[in-house]
Amino acid sequence: MYRRTLMTYALRAASVLPFLRVRLEAAVTELPAESVAALKDLAAIVLPSSLGRRRTDVIAVEFARWVREYRPGVPMDPGYGQPRLRNTPPSPADDYVAQLKALDSAARTQGKPLARLGREAQQKLVETALTEAKVQILPQRPTGQHVASDLMAFYFQSSEANDYAYRAEIGRHKCRPLEVSTKRPKPLEM
Amino acid sequence: MPTYESDVCIIGAGISSAMLAEKLTELGPGLAVTVVEAGSALFDVSARIRNRQRNLDYGESAWPGDVLEDQAGAEGLVCLTMAVGGQALRWGGACNRFSEEDLRLKSMYGLAVDWPLSWTELEKAYCEAERRLNVFGEPSPYPEDKRSEPYPVRALTLSYNLQRLKEWAERSALKFGPLPMAHNLKPFGGRGACCLFDTCGTVCPPGARYSPDFTFKQLAAEKKITLHDRTLVRKLVLDERRPVVAAAQAVHRDRPDEKVEYRARTFVVGSGYAWSPHLLLLSACSRFPNGLANSSGLVGKYMNGHKIIQGQATVDLQLYPGQNMAYSLISRKFFRCPTDQPFVRHDTRVWESNAGRGPRLRDDNGRLLMGDALMEDWRGRTKGGSVRLRAYYDVHPDRESRLVLHPTARNKWGDPLFRIEHRLDAASLAREAATHQHIRGVFELLAKADNGKLLSAGEGTHLDHPGGGCRMGTDPAASVCDSYGRTHDHENLFVVGAPTVPTAGCTNGALTFVALALRSGDRIAADFAKRK
Repeated sequence: MYRRTLMTYALRAASVLPFLRVRLEAAVTELPAESVAALKDLAAIVLPSSLGRRRTDVIAVEFARWVREYRPGVPMDPGYGQPRLRNTPPSPADDYVAQLKALDSAARTQGKPLARLGREAQQKLVETALTEAKVQILPQRPTGQHVASDLMAFYFQSSEANDYAYRAEIGRHKCRPLEVSTKRPKPLEM
Repeated sequence: MPTYESDVCIIGAGISSAMLAEKLTELGPGLAVTVVEAGSALFDVSARIRNRQRNLDYGESAWPGDVLEDQAGAEGLVCLTMAVGGQALRWGGACNRFSEEDLRLKSMYGLAVDWPLSWTELEKAYCEAERRLNVFGEPSPYPEDKRSEPYPVRALTLSYNLQRLKEWAERSALKFGPLPMAHNLKPFGGRGACCLFDTCGTVCPPGARYSPDFTFKQLAAEKKITLHDRTLVRKLVLDERRPVVAAAQAVHRDRPDEKVEYRARTFVVGSGYAWSPHLLLLSACSRFPNGLANSSGLVGKYMNGHKIIQGQATVDLQLYPGQNMAYSLISRKFFRCPTDQPFVRHDTRVWESNAGRGPRLRDDNGRLLMGDALMEDWRGRTKGGSVRLRAYYDVHPDRESRLVLHPTARNKWGDPLFRIEHRLDAASLAREAATHQHIRGVFELLAKADNGKLLSAGEGTHLDHPGGGCRMGTDPAASVCDSYGRTHDHENLFVVGAPTVPTAGCTNGALTFVALALRSGDRIAADFAKRK
């Protein structure tokens, strides 16, 4: 009982002390269920429709796992030639949650949630969000700049997407027998 | 104070030290060899696959724990990797030889300096280095590259992309072959076989690409050497009466208040091109106020490396990027330069590439792409192929191309760090424009075939495969050590590998550093045999 009372005080204190609230909220390192659902809707907008909704849902879930397994403050590869020491930045989870909410809020100004708008309107909203976030290029891997471009980077920079674009079984960065690389890649069964 | 005694104390645990330690344990089975390394022993092979995946997915270091942050205040081109294995934990495995011209620059061209050994001597050491590293390769199409022994392993068959690119590149009349590499095609030396993870220059999960951690782990496990990691040697101390090194003073990183001393009959500084001269300068004393082995004033001078020009070309050939992006073709056509023509020497390398053919967020008109539009745009650019071109070209250091102790930056023990300022000699600077023009011409010649087009060609920002700082030579007034790495000033002090090269050639340096270290091994072992 004493512990529960203490917790109640702590939560009340958090609600009146914005500084503390920020710190408590900053502990979020994975996407809540409603954000994962929103992420699936976003994946259906920014990934190729030819993948099918089932596949884009799976990619969204894999991206959510990427977020969950993200480790902030870990040394990054120093690089070659002109090495420099950097650590991974804070988890992008908070920003992603806010960006997903913002996308949905923007959609609702048009009278519907994001998932129920027409494709053109959906893409226009994403485009506006990416422009506001000053996203210029598709990063090599997610950077935390915007959830939409990061989700696209997560898929389009993958070995799977490379095979899909070339319609060939190349298997970049996958463990493969040496002989495989000596022949023209087999056509991808699509 | 803990004191450790041995016959040979090797300071630094990179690729040159690994090969030297292995050789010493073979030539002198009774020799007590201690290897002292400032970084950690990262021997968990099972972690490699996880670390590789974290590197690909998150950009995390594939070698967590390999950087000593308090040493990172050094300025200039310096490898930040400090671990058992050194920078070769992250090398790609390229094992090109230099050519005879590298050793005779002064006598053939009136440039830089001759090396103090013959090509025959170096070629013999190359063969040994290739055997130990299990290098694959195939004979060069240029007869001047003749070898006294075949490669230990026949070259990996070219990937489909490289087969096409070889046909393409050879229409220029240059001849190409596969790049020789220290990659196991079958298990060898306690390491696995290549299975095309294609992250050779970051980490190789089965250990197919040679890395020195395997050698040190095996030697230590078999008790052939004593390995002390996480121990930073701060200073070499001379004998009170004779100009020989008596001890290396060190500190263990986990017990920073406790000094450690290493006593040995022979000391070998094998700490790479930057940390080797740095240690000699740090070891200044009243009898050698400018640092050990530095009566010539050349410790930390003639810091060298080769320059780089990279290019991208597009061709009509249908390529499939991602097959084996670490494997490449090399032409040694321009290793030789006729003595009656302007001096230009470089290698020529060709890789598959996805430049300009990857996914992108905006099309040529700046229109933002996503979903089907992005995939359609990408597919539209998958027809044809991209080629990465590169040339390392030969430049020579000025005497004042230097490493000096840093006036302010210090590590946590108060030792000055260093600053490196590379500077080319006047002749290298004078011919740079002509060299650029020549290499661009070679790239354009290559690109002509198959309706190819050179899209870009630009110079890199740093000298690659850096060396120097303790250059070898026959004249004690003009060099720090002899061709075996023995310093002119201290008969029991050797420097091995990259610091000893007077010039950096025009191709990857690792095989040459190893070959020179193996020659040092011969001499050190012979010294001990003589004493017996």
